[in-house]
Amino acid sequence: MGLIQCKDVCKSFGEKVALENVSVDIPEGKIFGLLGPNGAGKTTLIRIINRITIPNSGEVFFDGRPITQEDVEKIGYLPEERGLYRKMTVGDQAMYFAQLKGMSSKDAVNELKKWFVRFGIESWWNKKVEELSKGMAQKVQFITTVVHRPSLLILDEPFSGFDPVNAQLIREEILRLKEEGATIILSTHNMESVEELCDNIALINRSHVVITGGVDEIRHKYGNDNAELIYTSEQTLQPVEGLFRVLSDKDDAGRHTSVLALESGVCGNDVLAAVIAQGMTVNSFKELIPRMNDIFIKLVTEEE
Amino acid sequence: MKIKNIGVIISREYLTRVKKKSFLLTTFLVPVLFAAMCILPSVIMFFAKDSQKQVAVVDQSGIVLSYLEDNDEADYVDYSAEHPDSVKAHFDDLALDVLVVISPLDSLSRSVSVIAYSPKPLGVGLKEAIKSRTDDAVEEYRVAQYDIADLKQIMADIKSDVDMSTYTLDESGEEKITSSEVYMIISMILSMIIYMFIAMFTGMVMQSVIEEKSSRVVEVLVSSVKATELMFGKIIGVACVALTQFFLWIMLTAVLVGGFSAFVGFDSLMGDPASAGQMMEMAGASIGGVDAAEMMEIADDDSELGAVLSTLRDIKWGQMILAFVIYFALGYLLYASLFAAIGSAVENEADTNQLQMPVTIPLLIAFFISLYAFNAPDSPIVFWGSMIPFTSPIVMLSRIPFGVPMWELVLSVALLAFTFVACAWVSAKIYKIGILMYGKKTTFKDLWKWLKQK
Repeated sequence: MGLIQCKDVCKSFGEKVALENVSVDIPEGKIFGLLGPNGAGKTTLIRIINRITIPNSGEVFFDGRPITQEDVEKIGYLPEERGLYRKMTVGDQAMYFAQLKGMSSKDAVNELKKWFVRFGIESWWNKKVEELSKGMAQKVQFITTVVHRPSLLILDEPFSGFDPVNAQLIREEILRLKEEGATIILSTHNMESVEELCDNIALINRSHVVITGGVDEIRHKYGNDNAELIYTSEQTLQPVEGLFRVLSDKDDAGRHTSVLALESGVCGNDVLAAVIAQGMTVNSFKELIPRMNDIFIKLVTEEE
Repeated sequence: MKIKNIGVIISREYLTRVKKKSFLLTTFLVPVLFAAMCILPSVIMFFAKDSQKQVAVVDQSGIVLSYLEDNDEADYVDYSAEHPDSVKAHFDDLALDVLVVISPLDSLSRSVSVIAYSPKPLGVGLKEAIKSRTDDAVEEYRVAQYDIADLKQIMADIKSDVDMSTYTLDESGEEKITSSEVYMIISMILSMIIYMFIAMFTGMVMQSVIEEKSSRVVEVLVSSVKATELMFGKIIGVACVALTQFFLWIMLTAVLVGGFSAFVGFDSLMGDPASAGQMMEMAGASIGGVDAAEMMEIADDDSELGAVLSTLRDIKWGQMILAFVIYFALGYLLYASLFAAIGSAVENEADTNQLQMPVTIPLLIAFFISLYAFNAPDSPIVFWGSMIPFTSPIVMLSRIPFGVPMWELVLSVALLAFTFVACAWVSAKIYKIGILMYGKKTTFKDLWKWLKQK
């Protein structure tokens, strides 16, 4: 059973339906990707999990029981639209958010100092937010999101606004927090980081869940039995009836890279045997799994 | 609602404001102004006298000159023999300040006309003095024209100057000499202060709601605390700022006025109106040897001063401060919750104009009714104004110095408290939804929709 379970969650604002019978199961200790085009209802779902918005119907379970206001102390939320008090100092501000999450001021100071040292920003403590650059403010905001050691982290586009170096820093921190046992919901349009970081995903489009499950499982499910073959030969590979078709073949001075469409149920050994029988020297043979990006585009455009 | 969260919010709202330079500045400067307002009139009494003016008089009528008696203000010199133009030509040589030309008596209207020339504009005091003296002269001349024996005596005999004092009767039937003017001034000051406080600090609440919304801090906040906790924490935090400022003002003003009084000796004067005259003399003597008798003249006659002081002494200051705190607290809460709801519905302050109209108008009406209250504290409009919750904080406070029956106070406070609870409920509903709404400009129709939303 997941740390967070949404069961048949519905939410509408007046006439406009934001979520319709949304059910997702977010496993504990994993990174869960929440995907979907703009306006699909991701933010509404996040707000419902955060108890910022109350659903019209359906239920959210936290650790197996209906979520309560007490549980929000165990959640850390980094909204897509970042915001800090401009006139307040970084330290005061971080203390304020930590205390609102139920930390005592002593614990808050200790934990914050540790994070500031880890991020190398100790000297910012007494600076006002308006003196910081956007990237700097993002770092501060990330710390305020995680300082109370939440068991559930909700990160909405956590890498936006960071340079590659800092984005890598954040990526490492996310993985470290996962190691330490945190469950993480990652909402992003960056499909590469989904493949890299997420264990499971849910794709939401037009207010309902289109697909949910493990990343590998989904990629395989949408795999179309294509394989990439690299071989060396004077000749070009010919298709074999009942085994495969050749979709493309690129000849680079006798070194060919070709994409094969395998007939369903065909075993790789038979394909290789047929290739070798044609006199080719096989350099590499691998299954082609679709990118998350392609699956995303396929599923979203199919609906329209 | 979690008290701990509200506590954290209140302390942030309070501390960030109290630490601001602008807060410190107003907190310490305003008492100086208040104190100056209390002290200045007495200081002015000592120093605000003009120097004596040299006034040349060309009296072509021959009846006025004798009425123009020299005094501190003016030294009248007879130039009736000269032509006005030649006096004008030698203005500087003769060291004159003013030239007054009185026309010959007009036989038809039996009157004269007066023209005054001076290089600098003529002071109002001197102008009035010359005019009234001339009037006296002309009246006297006309009376003499009737040629009735002993008319002067008869006139003096008829002349009347009734003495009028006002007393209030308290429940024990004891009479107290009062001065209605004092009540009026206190009522005016009270309603101004409470209006200012409510308008200023509720505006602060609205501004702060807008700031959190437009900077997007609010989304993080409501993921930690409930929207209602945030709203009430903010409202209470700002209220604490207001009360801190109010009490600091009272204390600092008291210290400043007290300090000045101790230095000059006015405090004993305030305590004992009977010996006011004596104290005045002492006060006068202590301030750089200014003639005390002169001051008595300016301070008008004894009994009127006594009435003012007796009124001041009889006002129940403690009760008034208590009433101020209660009505400010409730009025502020009522309006602050409404302004918080308006702030939540907009993204920047420029958009508030239309939405805040229905809230600012009652506040303004209340202020105007209270201006009427110190003329007619018991008129129906003032009575109803002090009962209707949206106007009562300001209007009732303007009635307080005149004395208000207990049942009216209790009823008005109860109505106000009840309305606050109702408005807070409505505002919280709007606020909860409003703070997360971006993009479209909010209309009253939207607000109504949000109210109905579950």
